[in-house]
Amino acid sequence: MEIKYTVQGLLIYAAMGAYVLAFATTLLRFRRMGQTLYLFGFITAVLSFGYRWYDVRHVPLQNLFEVFLCLGMIYPVSIFCHRVLRVGGGCGDMLIGAIVLFPAGFVFNAEPQRLPPALQCRLFVPHVAVYAASYIFMAKATFQAIYQLAGKSTNPDEKLLGPEEATYRMIYAGFPLLTLGLVLGSWWGKVAWGDYWGWDPKELWSLASWLVYVGYFHFRYMFGKKHPRINSIWAITGMAVIIITLLWVNLSKLFAGLHSYAM
Amino acid sequence: MWAALGLIILLILLSIYGAFIGTERAQKLVNSLPISVYWLAFIFILIEGITVFRRLVRVPALFLIHCGCILVLAGAMCGSEAGHRLQSQLFGIDKVRTGQMAIYEGESENLVTPEDGEQIKELPFSIKLKDFRLEHYKPEYLRVQSRDGEGWKVPVEVGTEFSLGEDLGTVTILRTFENFKIRIEGEKRKITDEPESGYNPALEVQIKYPEGNKETRYVFERFPGHMHQEDKLLMSYHKIISDYVSELEIIKDGKVVAAKNIEVNHPLYYGGYHFYQHSYDAEAGQYTVLMVTSDTGLGLVYAGYAMLCIGVFWHMWLKGIYARIKLKSE
Repeated sequence: MEIKYTVQGLLIYAAMGAYVLAFATTLLRFRRMGQTLYLFGFITAVLSFGYRWYDVRHVPLQNLFEVFLCLGMIYPVSIFCHRVLRVGGGCGDMLIGAIVLFPAGFVFNAEPQRLPPALQCRLFVPHVAVYAASYIFMAKATFQAIYQLAGKSTNPDEKLLGPEEATYRMIYAGFPLLTLGLVLGSWWGKVAWGDYWGWDPKELWSLASWLVYVGYFHFRYMFGKKHPRINSIWAITGMAVIIITLLWVNLSKLFAGLHSYAM
Repeated sequence: MWAALGLIILLILLSIYGAFIGTERAQKLVNSLPISVYWLAFIFILIEGITVFRRLVRVPALFLIHCGCILVLAGAMCGSEAGHRLQSQLFGIDKVRTGQMAIYEGESENLVTPEDGEQIKELPFSIKLKDFRLEHYKPEYLRVQSRDGEGWKVPVEVGTEFSLGEDLGTVTILRTFENFKIRIEGEKRKITDEPESGYNPALEVQIKYPEGNKETRYVFERFPGHMHQEDKLLMSYHKIISDYVSELEIIKDGKVVAAKNIEVNHPLYYGGYHFYQHSYDAEAGQYTVLMVTSDTGLGLVYAGYAMLCIGVFWHMWLKGIYARIKLKSE
């Protein structure tokens, strides 16, 4: 764990601080102030991402530091989900924003790196960006699933979906992106390494995460109304497998493979 | 439906188990007989699902998703080792599934060493390597570190003096070498650059200390030096590879039928094979190693991917967007 005494670090900490304050003020029912702080946190997170882009001279999605920096820009997804998909959890999103920026601020190395030849591909940015977006939707789905398991319901005045339905809608929105990320990764594997599927640990974990959501859809179709709690457990399991795919596979020496550079 | 759910759960567990046992063993496992039976069962369940559940036919997006999965699995089976063996036995098409070929600069080659340890096979055409080269990011840099841990990144620009502060003086890069050589001529040693005969990048660096004395050092990229007791500075030369390039020509019946400079992410496709930049002669840069992969089943897999993506986006995004637009217009 290290503190970054740099402009980059300062921007990350400012965004994190704004998200945490936004979360706290929203909990204390100062909603307008919470929203303002949330927007400020987002602008700071965008500045942080932009600064990194300028610093490394390529789209900063090369390693875990940069991916988590990107995930910190959660605000537009949050607003889209609230206004269009009628899914609440904006308060939880503020917390997700702070949580995903934490490893970028304190854990991962921010030393700028040149792109290795394998990453100089037109598929690199869409593959990672699409996955990052899908992970945000799935993280929101997980929060809703936890609400459902905890027996919480939404405020009827807000005309939002209940937690079980909201979990489903979030996974429904995120699953196409997860599928596209997997397919783009496979295509890129063919272009760069000669095989569209190499049975590498990262590939296998990402397949497992995709399959968990496939299982969720099938299970919900079969027993949706009868076992809503098990639906939520599927959704939470999906997020657990995503976390392993994103973090454990890259950080643990247990899963050495072709994706080891993405640290 | 239960069977489908069971097979999905089994594949989740198999994927997780495969991740723990490592790539090589996972590859063997998924190509083993029991798992081949599992793949066939998966295809069968998908086909049965489409025939039994009318919804999967009535809803085109769901039909695309499930057909996409069938095509991906079928394509993967065609492209597997077993698929290639079957293709050879049934249709007499004897293709190398995957292998490697090493080619020296200026020479042609048509022999492929298969990865599965089978006999070396001949391609019906030859590949000529016109040139192989490494490309590097600019500027390259010299990393200088003082005894108290302070560090500097000095861009490699010949003749430019770089200050390390009042206590340490300056460094100037006097000369760069692609292939550093020392020749003994009579009793004198002569330092030369012979880029044609090998690869040993180096820098000639002059250090000017504040006391006025000068020191010349040679810093090598491939042989990082160490700090002697009397040294005030540790230096290392960094060149970051940006690309590996092989200039290739395909020769058939004595004629050049295709040519391409292949790089990482830019393979050459000819005669049902993809040729990838795989490795190279790290000592002298005289030869390249290409990976050769057959395209059998690839079309099916890509068609399956396309159907899967179209189906998923149609079902989960476009239908909702269309319904929203319709609702607004009403």
